[in-house]
Amino acid sequence: MSTLQLVVNGIVYSSVIVLGSIGLSLVYSIGNFANFAHGDTMAVGAFGALVVAIGVNDYLLNPETAVSVSPSIAAILETTLFSLPIWFFVALVVGMAAAAILVVITEYLVYRPLDTGSIELLITSIGVALAYRALLILGFGSDPQTYDIGRSGRIDWVSESLGVAITPRDVVTVAITAILVVGLHLLLQYTTLGRKMRATADNADLARVSGIRTGEIILAMWVIGAVLAAAGGVFLGLDTLIRPRMGFELLLLIFSAVILGGIGSVYGAMLGGFTIGMAFEMTAALPFVGTQYNAAVAFIVMIAILLVRPTGILGDDTT
Amino acid sequence: MSADDATIVHREPTKEPVLSLSGVDSGYGEIQVLDDLNLHLEAGEIVCLIGPNGAGKSTVLKTAFGLLEPWTGSVTLRGEEIGGTEPADLVRMGVGYVPQTDNVFPSLSIEENLQMGGVAREDGVDDRIAELYDRFPILEEKQAAKARTLSGGQRQVLAFSRALMMEPDVLLIDEPSAGLAPSIVEDVFKNVRTVNDLGTSILMVEQNAREGLSISDRGYVLDQGTVRYEDVADELLDNPEVSKLYLGG
Repeated sequence: MSTLQLVVNGIVYSSVIVLGSIGLSLVYSIGNFANFAHGDTMAVGAFGALVVAIGVNDYLLNPETAVSVSPSIAAILETTLFSLPIWFFVALVVGMAAAAILVVITEYLVYRPLDTGSIELLITSIGVALAYRALLILGFGSDPQTYDIGRSGRIDWVSESLGVAITPRDVVTVAITAILVVGLHLLLQYTTLGRKMRATADNADLARVSGIRTGEIILAMWVIGAVLAAAGGVFLGLDTLIRPRMGFELLLLIFSAVILGGIGSVYGAMLGGFTIGMAFEMTAALPFVGTQYNAAVAFIVMIAILLVRPTGILGDDTT
Repeated sequence: MSADDATIVHREPTKEPVLSLSGVDSGYGEIQVLDDLNLHLEAGEIVCLIGPNGAGKSTVLKTAFGLLEPWTGSVTLRGEEIGGTEPADLVRMGVGYVPQTDNVFPSLSIEENLQMGGVAREDGVDDRIAELYDRFPILEEKQAAKARTLSGGQRQVLAFSRALMMEPDVLLIDEPSAGLAPSIVEDVFKNVRTVNDLGTSILMVEQNAREGLSISDRGYVLDQGTVRYEDVADELLDNPEVSKLYLGG
């Protein structure tokens, strides 16, 4: 594979890691604990979208079911945008909403009543992670599944001119990730909610003293983190397979991305996620190192950067 | 411990106090710090709390500001019970609080720090920021800089200004001079006076007892969680016992 191809693959994979890393970093900086359930939140998003996929493929578009729709509506459902059926975008939003609803319920039911220190919350989140995964296995079984969307070919003019294979869904993944990341940046920098979130991350006690209702900020943190994580989960499911363990297996990479970026810094998490995702995919370009070592290479890159900058890439920029 | 020392000159408030703590016990978890504490703040006053380390001075402010709930006794604002009311609500009722340390948002700009001070305002945030810029030009000069880049004295000005965004009637200030160079301490106290002149009643904890009392109307000497002495500030400064025990001779 050409190096340029690996770069393209790296950018696509980085999108998933970046989307996962942001929420983990937000919960660390505002909620003050390392959330081990964050990977499984990504899986919840992927499965939330799968519900829509199953509904469309097995029922609405299946002429043998009672709810099958007329050919004209079926044609609308199957209309494609960037070679993805229009319902996929609905599924993406449903996946995001499902994850957001679940984490908000978890906040009210589990984290908020606990009112405890960060170590206790960390341990609790491991339990929450197991509960999420168990729910997914109960509901969907543990066999790998797909959104049942036919593979699309590469974009011809790109492969002809640059010699790299880029599929339209790669473009969708990267474009939506970019929109979400830029949207988050605008929210954090230019809205009152964003400023309150940064203030609470900086100094939660002073935020309370200033009259900020920090409970609301924590809810916003959960919703934003879950929505981004769910998008990452859906994109991962689109690229690979949808399995209950898919998010958990990504957790180590996401943690390393957050630590690499400077733990607690949202912008650091973006950069760290990009670096880790790139290192993971670029492993194939290394001589004598097989791609089965891709995670190891990513961790070595993390360690090397941390040796030079122990606080992480942007570690000094936030508290 | 008993609070009925003969030396206490108890002064009844001349009018209804804006803020009053009566018979308050309070503390952290199981550890009691305040023991039957009684004090009040009248409209327009600066009242200074002095006393040795661990006397409970900061605990008084935290209990008044809802960061700690009183175990017994009552905390009233303009006659209304506020014991245990959330800080976010007290801010909206006209009480401000400047903590001793960590009293700015370090990664936010000066302007954003002020905006955070005004989150509970319904309107006029920008106008209020402009007023504070007029009063403290250093803030306007550095409005885009992150708060962590400020010097100690500048940070204290920002910490005050953040609390002043709400135009509070009552301001609780915890050790404004802590950790500052003596030359800057004077400025800080001048700012306290300025704020007071504009109509805010101030309850201030101060380690720097002489300087703190010298700009105050009244003072309380706290020891072991209760009031040992209470008097107009000048009298406290002249009181030989207070001087010997609490003002370093």
